[in-house]
Amino acid sequence: MITIYKQKCIPKDMELISLNDAFFNSYTSQWLDDRARDIIKNIDDSEWQGGNSIKSRFDGTILNIDRLSTGCKTALNIFYYTHTVFDIRECGDNALDIIYGFEHGNIYCSYPLISFEMKKVKVVDMNGERELSSYEDLKEWWINEK
Amino acid sequence: MKNNPVVMDRILTNHTSFIVDLELNFNITFIIGESGSGRSTVFSIIKEKAVFDKRIRCYNYLDKNLNYKNAIKRSKGKLFVIDNADILLDDAMRQYIAMDPLNQYVIIGRNPTGLMLGQDEIFEMDSLTKDNITEFHLRNSF
Repeated sequence: MITIYKQKCIPKDMELISLNDAFFNSYTSQWLDDRARDIIKNIDDSEWQGGNSIKSRFDGTILNIDRLSTGCKTALNIFYYTHTVFDIRECGDNALDIIYGFEHGNIYCSYPLISFEMKKVKVVDMNGERELSSYEDLKEWWINEK
Repeated sequence: MKNNPVVMDRILTNHTSFIVDLELNFNITFIIGESGSGRSTVFSIIKEKAVFDKRIRCYNYLDKNLNYKNAIKRSKGKLFVIDNADILLDDAMRQYIAMDPLNQYVIIGRNPTGLMLGQDEIFEMDSLTKDNITEFHLRNSF
């Protein structure tokens, strides 16, 4: 289950990354393995060719992996860097659906961005951490200032 | 705000097997949509067009540490195409853009808050591939 942080509650030893494109291009792209294939297929409808290549969903041409969408890059950042917090504000609904299904990962957003397919998440605020399993409870937690 | 476009009412350009044909009915065109729908691809194609059309200026996350806000405020008669808008545009900048009568905007992002837009100013990217040619158009989101 993923963990959602309020900004002031992100542990000091965890970095918050907002520029997901740049982080992916510089770091995450080096670590991709077969587990990335389904994530890329499900979000961008592109085929990972191994290494730094993908097959475009539009015309089938082979593209550098830096052409993945920001939402897909964000999902991959979250999946591969489980000790870093990533801002999800640029993710489309399809990327959110994948992210909320991850077994691990840390996210932040200044306003509620919730997948309708969410099942259970861990939230961290000034009161500590706890699990939430409904859309409405999570939305209420998110808009609460504490 | 539903103002008419002050710079251009259409972006039409080619890039190899891609055609971008965006009809711009308002001075601010906000493009939302699912990840991977081609919005950033369209941004990069328009950025290439901007090499030849000096009315167009393009900004994305790579410009975050540059002085793009002042560049926008000093401009007149430009079409600004802004990708990664959720990262680049803070509340004050959104308010400025909403009230700017001198420039036009195409904004790619998720959250249109603060831009004072009606539903009919919010679009999604549509693509159609036929005979190895992919065309991108806008369609109303709501």
